[in-house]
Amino acid sequence: MNDLPEVPGLETARVLVVDDNRVNRHLLQALLERGGVTRIDMAEDGNDALARLDSFRPDLILLDLMMPNLDGFEMCRRLRAIPAWKDLPVLVQSSLNRAEDRAKAFAAGATDYVTKPINAVELLSRVRIHLQNRALLHDLQRFHERTESELSLARKMQERLMPSPERLAEVEAAAGVGIAAHFAPSSELGGDFWDLRHDAVAPGQGQGRTMLYMVDFSGHGVGAALNTFRLHAICQQMDVSGLTPGEFLSTVNRRLCALLPNGQFATMLAGVIEPAENRFVYASAGSTRPMVWAPGDAAPQLGDSAGLPLGLLASAEYEERSLPLSPGGRLFLYSDGAIEIPVGSDVLDEPGLAALVAERMGETDGARFLDGLLDRLRAVGPIDDDLTALLLTRKG
Amino acid sequence: MDYGIEDKEQETLVRLRGRLTFNDHAKLRALIREMLQNKAKRQVLDLSTLEFVDSAGIGMLLIAREEMANADKQLVLRSAAGQVKRVLTVAQLNKIVTIED
Repeated sequence: MNDLPEVPGLETARVLVVDDNRVNRHLLQALLERGGVTRIDMAEDGNDALARLDSFRPDLILLDLMMPNLDGFEMCRRLRAIPAWKDLPVLVQSSLNRAEDRAKAFAAGATDYVTKPINAVELLSRVRIHLQNRALLHDLQRFHERTESELSLARKMQERLMPSPERLAEVEAAAGVGIAAHFAPSSELGGDFWDLRHDAVAPGQGQGRTMLYMVDFSGHGVGAALNTFRLHAICQQMDVSGLTPGEFLSTVNRRLCALLPNGQFATMLAGVIEPAENRFVYASAGSTRPMVWAPGDAAPQLGDSAGLPLGLLASAEYEERSLPLSPGGRLFLYSDGAIEIPVGSDVLDEPGLAALVAERMGETDGARFLDGLLDRLRAVGPIDDDLTALLLTRKG
Repeated sequence: MDYGIEDKEQETLVRLRGRLTFNDHAKLRALIREMLQNKAKRQVLDLSTLEFVDSAGIGMLLIAREEMANADKQLVLRSAAGQVKRVLTVAQLNKIVTIED
């Protein structure tokens, strides 16, 4: 036996031997002990075995089939019906050796099958393999659970990069706008985020100003998500009150260039509502094209969004552009997940998205507008990127 | 995405086909290694049969650009069409990479 490979944890593995024949039970016990298994319990039939499960907590069951009271087939079926034991290795050892018996045992939930008379080396080898597999599976499950809980925590942190309902309500009231937003990373974490900053001004000097921005980092998943935290920190530290959208982007870009490795970048759109001019003034670092419309319009107007993405060239400058945005008018921003949906051999693209937006422009409720549009996008094709969408309505 | 390499006198021509996305990282790394081993100074990526590129794909093209520059080579993106051309245009990548029609 000593030439078999080491199985980690064999000495702590628990094996339950189920056999109605006392001689067989002791033979198997001796065999297991010779193979290095020390924690062994024994049961006389299926009922006895099921009764011992919770106290003994086996890592493997060696199961005879022909037993009084509750036979091995039925015991196995009942075992598999208990969620905690559905993955437990069950190694059947039986004198039944017809193919139908084996098939019946596997159908009842057996993991493996050896026939009596027992070949000691074979039985021990199989016991070791199943215990090893169980240990590996267990490690993998623990790793999976840990990763899942960490990702879920990180996801909650990422959601908090975006304005809380309370802060959003404050800015909406101060800026005279209503905002509906949707944030859906393609996996637990994503490379998108959006935020807004409202700067109050001295009393009697107008409404103050709100800078709204949306960011989409290259790639998706954990790497892109870490970058959203970096960029969020950069934006939080900045005093944006005196900056035009173009100056804001070029400042963010310079800071980001010093941080991002080659091959990573972000697209970003930043803009302010100029109430006196009824315009949305913005700058774009290669973002998607912003859309605006006024009540009664038949189709949205698309703005130009050409611009070098952030993080590529420290000296980049960002041009300022504007779109009309009168009271009652709407502004729609979205990440590229919304336009890269495959349609035939091409993608939906901005004109395709604009057509879907046009179908829904009559919907006055912002959240319902977004929900309807997103349902429609999902019907177009699979969305395999992060999808963030934001609808701003200027209060009239 | 897959690709074919053609060695010409003055340049190496690499034709990219299909979709260049997040999932092609390993393949593009292998391509960059091949391009670095080529003697030609001009390494041309022919994008005429590339149907789609996402942001991660653009990121990989930018990595290729830097790796070529570090090896004293020039990366050229040629003949982009459709969605690929639109993405290169909106990102104004001509400011940092040589783009030819």
